[in-house]
Amino acid sequence: MDVTGAPSDAEVVARVLGGDSEAFALVVRRYEAGLLRFAARMLGSRDAAADAVAESFVRAYRHLASCREPARLRTWLYRIVANRCKSHLARRPIADVSLDEAPAVADAADTELNLERAEQLALVQRALVRLSPEKREAFLLKHVEGLSYEEMAAVTGERVPTLKMRVHRAREALLQVLEEYE
Amino acid sequence: MNAIDPRIHQALDGELAPAALSAELSRVVERLVTAAALLAAPLPLASLESRVMAAIRRPVPSPARRLLRWLATPRAITFRVRPVWSLAFAAVVALLTLFPLGHEGPDIGEHEGIAQFVGRFPGAQSVHVVGSFNDWRSGSIALEDVDQDGVWRATVVLPTGAYEYMFVVDGERWVPDHLAERLVADEFGRENSIVIVRPARR
Amino acid sequence: MKLWLGLALLAGPLAAQSAEARLEGRVPGAAIPAVDSLVQRAYAEGLPTEPLIQKALEGGAKQVTAPRIVAAVQVSLGQLRDARDLLVHGGDEPPVTPGEVTTVAWALRRGLPGPVVQRVLVALPRPPRASAMHAVADLVAHHFDPDSGADLIIAAIGQGLVPERLLDVSAAAARELQRGHTHAEALALVRQELPNVPASPKPTRSAVARARRPAAPTPP
Repeated sequence: MDVTGAPSDAEVVARVLGGDSEAFALVVRRYEAGLLRFAARMLGSRDAAADAVAESFVRAYRHLASCREPARLRTWLYRIVANRCKSHLARRPIADVSLDEAPAVADAADTELNLERAEQLALVQRALVRLSPEKREAFLLKHVEGLSYEEMAAVTGERVPTLKMRVHRAREALLQVLEEYE
Repeated sequence: MNAIDPRIHQALDGELAPAALSAELSRVVERLVTAAALLAAPLPLASLESRVMAAIRRPVPSPARRLLRWLATPRAITFRVRPVWSLAFAAVVALLTLFPLGHEGPDIGEHEGIAQFVGRFPGAQSVHVVGSFNDWRSGSIALEDVDQDGVWRATVVLPTGAYEYMFVVDGERWVPDHLAERLVADEFGRENSIVIVRPARR
Repeated sequence: MKLWLGLALLAGPLAAQSAEARLEGRVPGAAIPAVDSLVQRAYAEGLPTEPLIQKALEGGAKQVTAPRIVAAVQVSLGQLRDARDLLVHGGDEPPVTPGEVTTVAWALRRGLPGPVVQRVLVALPRPPRASAMHAVADLVAHHFDPDSGADLIIAAIGQGLVPERLLDVSAAAARELQRGHTHAEALALVRQELPNVPASPKPTRSAVARARRPAAPTPP
C-alpha cells in the first residue's frame, strides 16, 4: 500500500495470482499510458503500439507467476513490451510519423503555440526514427520513461556500462540529426 | 557522429550540477531536455483496459487444439527426407485435420460454461436471446424450434458470470424468460431475466 | 535524471474513444455525449465502465428515448458508487477492483440490503464473492429472509464450501420449498446437510455437443 492508499504492485500481483483476475485491470490502468507512449515512439505507429502493448499485457497476465520481483512489475512490463517492439521492428522497419501527431489544443488562444509544438514534436520524432532501434530504445527508456540505468539493465538484459554508452551515443546521434534539420 | 562534451553527458546523468555548465553547454542540454519532454507527452490513445480484460477472460486453447491449428496452418517448411517418411507425415496431417480427435461440440475453456435458453412461442417466426453477453444485439443468438412444436431452444457457450437478457420474438416483441428464476428491474420499466453461467468443467 | 518540462499537453480521456465507438449507431445520438460523460466520470473514480455502456446499449436496443437512457445510466452509476462505498466500509482497501464493484452492484440490484451485503463481505474478506452474493440473492428471490439467507451461506462458507458451490446451497433450499417445507424448515434441512449439499448437474454431453458460440457481430 502506498501513501495514497492504492495497493502496491506486489499486492495486486498477489491478488491476481490468488484468483482475482479482474484485479489485473489495475495493472493495465496504472501502466498503459507509459507503455503505449514508449511503444508508439519505438514503432512510429499508434496502431502498432496499441497492438503491441495489449498483447504484452495479456502475455504478462498469463505469465504473471514468472514475475520474480512483483515489486518491480513496471520494469518487467517494459521488458515484455521492449521485446515485442524488437520483434515487430525485425519484421518491418519503423514507419515515418506524420505531422498529424499534434497534441490536443488546450485552449483556442494557444493555437499558434500548439502548432509550433506540433512541428517541434514531428521534427524530434523524425530524428528519433533515424536512430538505430538500440539507441532509440536507450534514449526513450532513460529520458522519456525515466528509468534508472539499473532498471534499464533489467529491461534490456544489457550491462549498465553498455547502456550508458548507448544513451550517450543516442544523445549525440539525436543532436546531430536535429542540427541537420535546421 | 560527433562526440559531444562529456560534461553534457554528466549533467544529463545527474553526475554534474547544471549550474556548473557554460552557457553554450547548457543550451545543448536544454535542447535534449526539450526533445525528451516533447516525446514524453501522453498520446491521445484509447484505453486498452476493456480489450486486455476481454482477452484475459477468453480461454486459452488447449494444447491439443493449438497443435491442430499449427498443423492445419499453411507454412513454408523445407526439409529433406526419404519419400517414405514424407508420405507418412502427409498421412498423419491428413488424419488429424480430417478427423479431429474425439471432438464433440466446441472446445469449452476453463472459464466458460453452457447456458440453455428455452421458451414457448407457438406461431413465432424467429426468437432471439439478447442480453449483456452479446452487447444487446439481436441476431447473434437465435433459438430454434427444431420439431415445430412451438418450443424454442438454444444452447450457448459463454464466459462464466452473470448476465441480463430477454427474448426478442419476431424481431420486435421483447419478452422476459418466464422459466428464469432470477429477475431484475431494467430501469426502463421492465424486468430482465438473469442467467448465471457456471464453469462447465467443475 | 528524469527530464520533464511543464509543457501543457492535453491527453483526451482514454476511456472516451472506446465508449463512443461502441455506442455510435446503437444508441440515440442525443444520448451519447451525456452517457460518455458519465462513463468518463466512472473511469476517473476507478469504477467499472462496462455496466454503464451495457445499460446504454440495452436502452438503445429496446428503443428507449435518449433522456431515459441517460437517466438509467445515471442510476447505474449511483449503484456502482454505492457498491464501492460498501466494499470500502466492508474492509476492502481502495481502489477496490472493478470486478468486485460489479459483483456488489449486482447484489444491491437483486434486492440485498446493504447490511446483508456487508455481512457477506466480512465473511469473505477476499474476492471472488460473486457466487456468494448471487446465492444469497437467490434465497431472497425465493422470499427467504435476507439475514437468514445470509446466515445459511455464511455457514456454508464456514464449512469450507468453495464459492462455486454456494449456488448449490441456495438451489437446495429452493428445492426444499418446492417439496412443501416452510422457509424455516428448508433452511434447517439444508444447514444439516452442509457441506454435502448435492452439486448441480454438469451439462450433458448432448448439451455440450449442441452448444454454439454467439455469432460475431457484423461490422457496420
